[in-house]
Amino acid sequence: MKLREIFTNGIFKENPIFKLVIGMCPTIAVTTAAINGIGMGLATTFVLICSNLVISLLKDFIPSKIRIPSYIVIIATFVTIVGMVMEAYLPDLYDSLGIFIPLIVVNCIILARAETFASKNPPIPSIVDGLGIGLGFTLSLTILGSIRELLGAGTLFNMQVMPNSYEPALIMILPAGAFITLGLLTGLINKFTTKMD
Amino acid sequence: MNQLIVSSSPHINSDETIAKIMRDVVIALIPAGIAAIYFFGSRALLIIVVSVISAVLTEWFMQKLYKKPITLDDWSAVVTGILIAYNMPPTVPLWLPIVGSVIAIAIIKQSFGGLGQNFMNPALGARAILLACWPVRMTTWVAPGPDAISTATPLELLNGNMQEGFPTIWDAFIGNIGGCIGETSAFALILGAIYLLYRDVINWRIPVSYLGTVALFTWIFGKDGFFTGNGIYNLFIGGLMLGAFYMATDYATSPVTPKGQLIMGFGCGIITSIIRLYGGYPDGVTYAILIMNIVTPLIDRYTIPSIYGEVERNV
Amino acid sequence: MSETWTLGLKLFIITAVAGFILGFTNYLTEQPIMKQRIQADMEARLAVLPSAKEFEEIEIDEVADENSKIIEIYRAVDADNNIVGYTFKVLTSGFGGDVEVIVGINSDGIIEGIRIGEHSETPGLGAKASEEGFTEQFAGKAIDMPIEVNKTGDLADNEIQAITGATITSECVSNAVNLAINYYSESLIGGIDN
Repeated sequence: MKLREIFTNGIFKENPIFKLVIGMCPTIAVTTAAINGIGMGLATTFVLICSNLVISLLKDFIPSKIRIPSYIVIIATFVTIVGMVMEAYLPDLYDSLGIFIPLIVVNCIILARAETFASKNPPIPSIVDGLGIGLGFTLSLTILGSIRELLGAGTLFNMQVMPNSYEPALIMILPAGAFITLGLLTGLINKFTTKMD
Repeated sequence: MNQLIVSSSPHINSDETIAKIMRDVVIALIPAGIAAIYFFGSRALLIIVVSVISAVLTEWFMQKLYKKPITLDDWSAVVTGILIAYNMPPTVPLWLPIVGSVIAIAIIKQSFGGLGQNFMNPALGARAILLACWPVRMTTWVAPGPDAISTATPLELLNGNMQEGFPTIWDAFIGNIGGCIGETSAFALILGAIYLLYRDVINWRIPVSYLGTVALFTWIFGKDGFFTGNGIYNLFIGGLMLGAFYMATDYATSPVTPKGQLIMGFGCGIITSIIRLYGGYPDGVTYAILIMNIVTPLIDRYTIPSIYGEVERNV
Repeated sequence: MSETWTLGLKLFIITAVAGFILGFTNYLTEQPIMKQRIQADMEARLAVLPSAKEFEEIEIDEVADENSKIIEIYRAVDADNNIVGYTFKVLTSGFGGDVEVIVGINSDGIIEGIRIGEHSETPGLGAKASEEGFTEQFAGKAIDMPIEVNKTGDLADNEIQAITGATITSECVSNAVNLAINYYSESLIGGIDN
């Protein structure tokens, strides 16, 4: 596969949220606002690129029998680093994402890419795969977050968009709203993309 | 292995029958509508009309969109529209019933496959969503009469430890109390229910087991100790009558087996009572019926009557 | 070497390297994180007691009522080291869990401000407690009477307007403020802390 293909694969064909439907826990939890979607997405992308690279480099060193604990240690290390650096230098972002950062460890997207891609491919394609999947995740979270923020709070990236007379539909920023939006959006996206195939 | 599968209801063969049933439901709902207009004024009528029109239009639009046959003449959208309006306070702005109808028909009914395929009652699902979206709008009650003075419903009074200001049981029975448009007059709802029972549209199992369970439970677990609650009073307030006769009995979302229907009513009754007595929300009818809607396929599965002559194997 | 030993050794190497990297990152970020936390706490206290210059934590025995619990009290002093008031951090149980309320009372017995810290109240309802529209109602209230929550609109001097649709949250915040008021009147005015 060409690098460009690997990259776009993560955004469209194997979009983690709308196509693979994995990593649902952070998806539901953080997408109450567009900015949270971007923050969580980029943090995950960083962890994904790093863990993909390291796992790809170590694929001959790590015996298959202990690959899962090894992957988890590597992923957890990067997640903890992201958490610490964010708290030290980006305290505002840490305030809104703080409790979700540790969740990246158990985000199955990262383990899934380690298992299905990084452990079988050389470092450069693994980085690109991490970037593609990560950006696909970020994009999807941002779309979900934008819709929920717009309908549930009347704002977009914290700026008032809806007229003042608009009464926000509270359910959209509650977990139930995340499920409803995710379901409708997945259906809609798959309807249009399957038509194209 | 038991390979029998109970198919999803309604087991109805022709559109004409659905239309007849739904028309009967509409007729049965008319007394409650008249009571609502009498107690809450023309505002109630306006909300009902807006709700029905938007439900019918949404049904037409969604069936066009999904390229399905247009079945507006089965009256089911009209029933959903009426029920949505009946589940709202008379103070709501007019966009609220429109949003409610769109949610009920477009998302809960048509997106899951249309009539008979929906996994929960569309009107109640819409009400639950509206309640989560605009809780203040959906719980601003007024006392009956021309002045529209804001008031607490009897259920809120029950929860609030207040001893005075209770409407009498007679007021609660005829509907001279605060509450949703169509739920306050127990008398009018019972009148309609008798018609439905007479026409064989519904049977007694779900309503009777539902109402009986609530009366029993709210009597046993009263505020001041065991056997002190006012079970009968509890029957006439909140959305219980409307829910028990018109929504818990919805064909697509209630069990088909007789035993299953009793379980459905009993389950609804328990959940309603628990929410009323101990929950954060004053009334639990909506959530009780929705939760039992969701377990309906399980109830059906475990209450299939054994076929004559069948022997249990591998005991 | 048997396979088990190889596996164990390799896993040990991976975890050791990971541990080393984490230790190093911690070494780099420890100071900035501490500074961030101290600054955030400082800002919260300054927001509720703007006349203060410096804060000093005082030791307290556990103070709690049914719903609320005082977890921190700071004595605030101005540039000349005169006591200008106290800030209280109170944990109270709201609708969705614990709500952190920071209360600043000056030495004239007036609430200068309150602020809502961490909470898990319902967005759009109880979460409105952390908005200024709600919290600024407490500013300027005297502490001679407990704060009461009012739902209708005609407010007496010691009353605040409840958040529409979130009575429980409104009451838990005023309960937390009252606990701070009580402690201030009983133990801090001319009391043990002079």
